[in-house]
Amino acid sequence: MVDHKSILEERVLGQINRRQVLGGLGAGAAVLSTGLGSRPAHANGGHIRLAWIDHVDTLDPHFTGFLGAVKIHNNIYNGLLKVEYDGKRVSFVPDLAQTWEINDDKVHTFKLHPGVKFHDGTPCDAEAVKWSVERVWKGTPKSPHAWKYKELNNVEVLDPLTVRLTFNKPYAFLPVALTGSTGRAGTIVSKAAVEKYGDKFGRNPVGTGPFKFVSWRENDSIVVEKNPDYFEKGLPKLDRATFVIMKEASAAIAAMLSGQIDGMSEIPVQFVSQIQAQKNLQVYGEIEGNYVYVGMNCKRAPFDDMDLRRAVAFALNREIVIKQAFFGHAIQAYTPISPPMSDFYDPDVAKSGRGQFFDMAKAKEFRAKSKVKGTIEPVFLATEQGIYGTRLMQSVLPMLAAIDIKPKIEVVERAAWIQKRNAGDWDLFDFNWWADLDPDETITPEFRSGEPWNYPGWSNKRFDQLVTDAQDTLDVAKRKVLYTEACDILMDEAPIAIISHMPVFKVFSQKVKGFKYIPVDSLNLHTVSLG
Amino acid sequence: MLLFAAGKILQTLMVLLIVSAVSFTLLKLAPGDPIQIMLGTEYSPEAYTSLMKQLGLDRSMIEQYLRWLGSFVTGDWGVSYVSKAPIFQFAVVEALPVTLTLAASALALSVLIGVPLGVLAATRRGSIWDAATSVFTLTGTSFPSFYLGILLIWLFGVKFGLFPTMGFVAPWEDFWAGVSHLTLPAITLSIYFLAMIVRMTRANLIEVLEQPYIAAARARGEPNWRVVWVHGLRNILMPLVTILGLQLGALLQGAVLTETVFSLPGVGQMITNAVLNREYGIVQAGVMITACLFITTNLIVDLAYPYLDPRLRPR
Repeated sequence: MVDHKSILEERVLGQINRRQVLGGLGAGAAVLSTGLGSRPAHANGGHIRLAWIDHVDTLDPHFTGFLGAVKIHNNIYNGLLKVEYDGKRVSFVPDLAQTWEINDDKVHTFKLHPGVKFHDGTPCDAEAVKWSVERVWKGTPKSPHAWKYKELNNVEVLDPLTVRLTFNKPYAFLPVALTGSTGRAGTIVSKAAVEKYGDKFGRNPVGTGPFKFVSWRENDSIVVEKNPDYFEKGLPKLDRATFVIMKEASAAIAAMLSGQIDGMSEIPVQFVSQIQAQKNLQVYGEIEGNYVYVGMNCKRAPFDDMDLRRAVAFALNREIVIKQAFFGHAIQAYTPISPPMSDFYDPDVAKSGRGQFFDMAKAKEFRAKSKVKGTIEPVFLATEQGIYGTRLMQSVLPMLAAIDIKPKIEVVERAAWIQKRNAGDWDLFDFNWWADLDPDETITPEFRSGEPWNYPGWSNKRFDQLVTDAQDTLDVAKRKVLYTEACDILMDEAPIAIISHMPVFKVFSQKVKGFKYIPVDSLNLHTVSLG
Repeated sequence: MLLFAAGKILQTLMVLLIVSAVSFTLLKLAPGDPIQIMLGTEYSPEAYTSLMKQLGLDRSMIEQYLRWLGSFVTGDWGVSYVSKAPIFQFAVVEALPVTLTLAASALALSVLIGVPLGVLAATRRGSIWDAATSVFTLTGTSFPSFYLGILLIWLFGVKFGLFPTMGFVAPWEDFWAGVSHLTLPAITLSIYFLAMIVRMTRANLIEVLEQPYIAAARARGEPNWRVVWVHGLRNILMPLVTILGLQLGALLQGAVLTETVFSLPGVGQMITNAVLNREYGIVQAGVMITACLFITTNLIVDLAYPYLDPRLRPR
């Protein structure tokens, strides 16, 4: 019999080289902190305080759209599956499930851990899992993650600890969708609590995770405490964790240096070198599953012209952009497939001649072929983007000028930017997709015709066919062939000029021990303790 | 008197109505809408329409405003779009005390230090004290408060580790922790006022000390401290209090920046985040609170005049 599970698993995991470990990482790990006014150590597991630089919208995992929130969810909830990383391989392993069996490519049977309880005391059994899955799949209000169960046919409870999901067709993305982290759709929440709190469940979360929710004070902090009945024996180690919501990264860094907080959920790139140089801090970060790009609006002139788009794609000198915009903390991207998608990422892509890269001669050649000959003044829509602000836009301007494109810059605050982006009211804009582990989530909803995330409005029938076929192809080799061709088409027709894959950093003070890094922008506190 | 009070109240209500309408319209006219922000990367046209209906944002702008106004005056301030938390609780019970504590400590600090410094400069005109004070005030008025905040954080928080640099602890719950958490933010926020009060005190006092009644007081043989602190100071209270009342707006503005730098969960941060996320209900609540604060303070200033200056008392 074919071992479908291992095929499924291998599809998304496989070998990742640690080639991306950045210089200075974890430097000075042995050097102890010299008294910068740190707080006294706590007797028991301790109380960790982490500065949360990013946005938390809700603690209801089925309704969030933000990684800043998902990072906290991981500590309150469990998924059917979870992501593991041993420094080389990303793997998807059962979390609430004890075992995971796949029959006939489409039928997934999960046997749950016995005796697991939600924080409110209700049992987390097969019925609870069924209810949670159905809440995402077809609940009202509609979960934004419902599409992850589009091909789900039925959920059945076989016995109190066994639940079976039957899909209409093989579903290659499933392992990612079922994780409690980036997948979100497989996160199991307490039915009793959802019914009790209604639309306020997002402020009163109840899961099965290592930490119980205590309080959330707006613009101030979210507090969780140890779940003494957590089903993974010996975990968690901490007694309490406070996520201090801080908008100002420099203030958070100061608070960390003076010992008031023990870590940060992320670091804007301009501070990375400065923080790596601090001997009493430990920095974690590798290239993660993401890509940064400059998008071009294919739906209107002048970028409805493929030659002009190709000219832009070849005109951008990625090496310089990475230095100027990201202070060197990035690697050049040739296609959207990023290193953690190890079965699909080609470590030698730079030498393969595939994808997009800087080549001024080619840029000029395509520019000469483009419809508009004279100077073009497109609108470049920009805002403060996550960890790199408006620097990407700034650094590509002179490169565009070299092919006679002189954008009119429109820098607006985020709310206005989102509206304009969604409305297609721009010619050029810069953006990124974050924390992806599978090619399906990294290019399909982003570039298939008519998909909501396809902001450039690009459309190619062959590409659509390839990525759709790849969704129910479980054979890794075959799937890779499909994605290779799809990416080649995408890069050639250039609705985007792809720039880079970014490392995502987490920083802790030296007394924080036992943090397990996973390259999906997560911050799991299960094994963390304060030394 | 009753007529005066009724008139004042009516005037206040009109002002609040206008302020609320203007802020509502401005925010609505600004590009960006809350639903697209809430949906984040999970945006899709269907999700958009369903959420819009759910939040009642598909109604006309006027209807939305009237609905808001109707429920606002009956004490129902609505709930946050995202958190579903009641806005009244968030704005008045949680955020307002933080801002009031911060503003009050900054104000107290500026008055307690500013007035004596001003007196010192005025009574020793041309001395080294006077020169030092004017250098200090010039620096204080021209220094951006958020930058001062960051400098204070690095110096007293990181380098010397003397004070916490973030968060709020209510002084009525834990007095010393509260005071130590408030020290740096209060200094940051007070510097501008402190400098202004010093300059006001100095300039006014110099003028007052040249008045004939001061000469008369001295001729009566009153001691110098009495001449300055009783006769002199009493006569500069009027302009000082007026300016302080009017400058409350600037104080609240400064509070926004100070709260951000020191991560204090006050009204300033609340409004900033609400504007960025287009949380109309919270912005309105914030605007109403600050408008009320401003109006009330100025009302108190008006009412205080007769006490500060006997000449204004009704005969």
